[in-house]
Amino acid sequence: MGKMWVIATNTFREALRKKTLYILLVVALVAIGTSRFFSFLAAQDELKMIKDVSFATIEFFGAILAIFTAMGGVSGEIEKKTIYTLLAKPITRKNFIIGKFLGQSMVILLNAILISLFFIGLLISKKAVPDMEIYKSLLLIYIELLMIGAISLAVATFATDAFNIILSFFLFITGNLSVYFKQVIERTENIIFKGLGYMLYNIIPNYENFNIRDQVVVGVNVSWQYVGQTILYGVMYIVIAVLVGIYFFQKREV
Amino acid sequence: MKNKNWVNLFIAVLLYIPVGFLQVHIDYRRKLEDLEARLMLMPGQVAGSLVLSGFRGVAADLLWLNIEELWHQGHTYKLLPMFESVAWLQPRYITVWAVGGWHMAYNIYASTQDQKEKKYWYEQGAAFLKKGIAYNPEQYDLYFELGWTYYNKGEDFANAVKYLEKAVKFPCPDYVKSLLAHAYENNDQVDKAVEQWTRVLNTGFESVAKRALKVIREEGAFTPTRRRRLGMGMED
Repeated sequence: MGKMWVIATNTFREALRKKTLYILLVVALVAIGTSRFFSFLAAQDELKMIKDVSFATIEFFGAILAIFTAMGGVSGEIEKKTIYTLLAKPITRKNFIIGKFLGQSMVILLNAILISLFFIGLLISKKAVPDMEIYKSLLLIYIELLMIGAISLAVATFATDAFNIILSFFLFITGNLSVYFKQVIERTENIIFKGLGYMLYNIIPNYENFNIRDQVVVGVNVSWQYVGQTILYGVMYIVIAVLVGIYFFQKREV
Repeated sequence: MKNKNWVNLFIAVLLYIPVGFLQVHIDYRRKLEDLEARLMLMPGQVAGSLVLSGFRGVAADLLWLNIEELWHQGHTYKLLPMFESVAWLQPRYITVWAVGGWHMAYNIYASTQDQKEKKYWYEQGAAFLKKGIAYNPEQYDLYFELGWTYYNKGEDFANAVKYLEKAVKFPCPDYVKSLLAHAYENNDQVDKAVEQWTRVLNTGFESVAKRALKVIREEGAFTPTRRRRLGMGMED
């Protein structure tokens, strides 16, 4: 655990040294800040817009950060050849991958906390104290970002950066459209295609599970049971991605 | 070492089984809690969904801003597909149903002189509100909006009573309860009107309820017959 923690804290420090985090943070805060321009709308509509824009910003910029941090974590170490020093020490490849994942999770958490604080501050300034549903939605977005990061980390262990970016964004889009995909499967009559479709539906990360914000912004309550099940789904998917990452990194010639 | 590495992949593949079962549970709960996004299989909508991905809320907001702009420019009819689009993207957004229904039943209704056309837009407004109720049956808001449209615009008191009775079953402001009492009177249901006014006595509309009960006792309720006798229309 100690070795993993060393890798994790180094990954975190390395990310803080890079400008990516700060640029994304500033752009995200500006994006959320612009939602204040909707003050010409009725108070209720303005609040809805602030929430919609903020949730979308936290998710979108968080996803970019997760993908780039995960990608840089592996390929950066290989390019700078620092990985040779690391692996020469008594650090196993398994420790390296898990440590990298923990480190990038801290970066994603820091980013999510800072943007969320700004968002909550904005709501309070509008005299709308955020309720528990807002926090549930933020929690699910964070788990989703961890999942995106874990998948990107797994891909980084065997593919190039360009492929990783394309695949991660492709999964981000398809994962958010899973409802549509499911509807297509349900209407398919061919039993083989139906079976293959359901298999694919379960393999592709279902990011739509984490999307409760469309309901939360209009005042719909979401049960803790749903939130709990979705967190469990996210955690299991993260474990799968990390295990796949370990498998391919063990096989990789460095 | 090589054999051990296979274990990682084996566990990962094995974990897909509980993930699959969990997904079934999550799908069930999404349906149960009405969290599913409503996507219809129309080409334009599919393309739109692809572009929007998980950002339907922001898309709905941008369309709402368009509604605001078109509204101020006086483009009465151009607003209609916008209302439909926002409602499609976020069917739980009550405001879009309420404003859309009101726009058809009041604004477009007033913009035409043709009685047939007036009737058409009044019915379209009511139909839009009913569609909104189908998506939001657990809140008073749209039952009230529809009840008010029947009461005020259509003077269809039987339907007004029907929907206001549904509205008061949910937590709602006092004026909804008071409107139901008025609707009972206008629908010739005097006993029910007295009962409802008595209930309203415990609300912020106490003085209105006291006055209404006094008038009913001393002069009679404002039933359609009495209104006609007094030569009073709805605006009185």
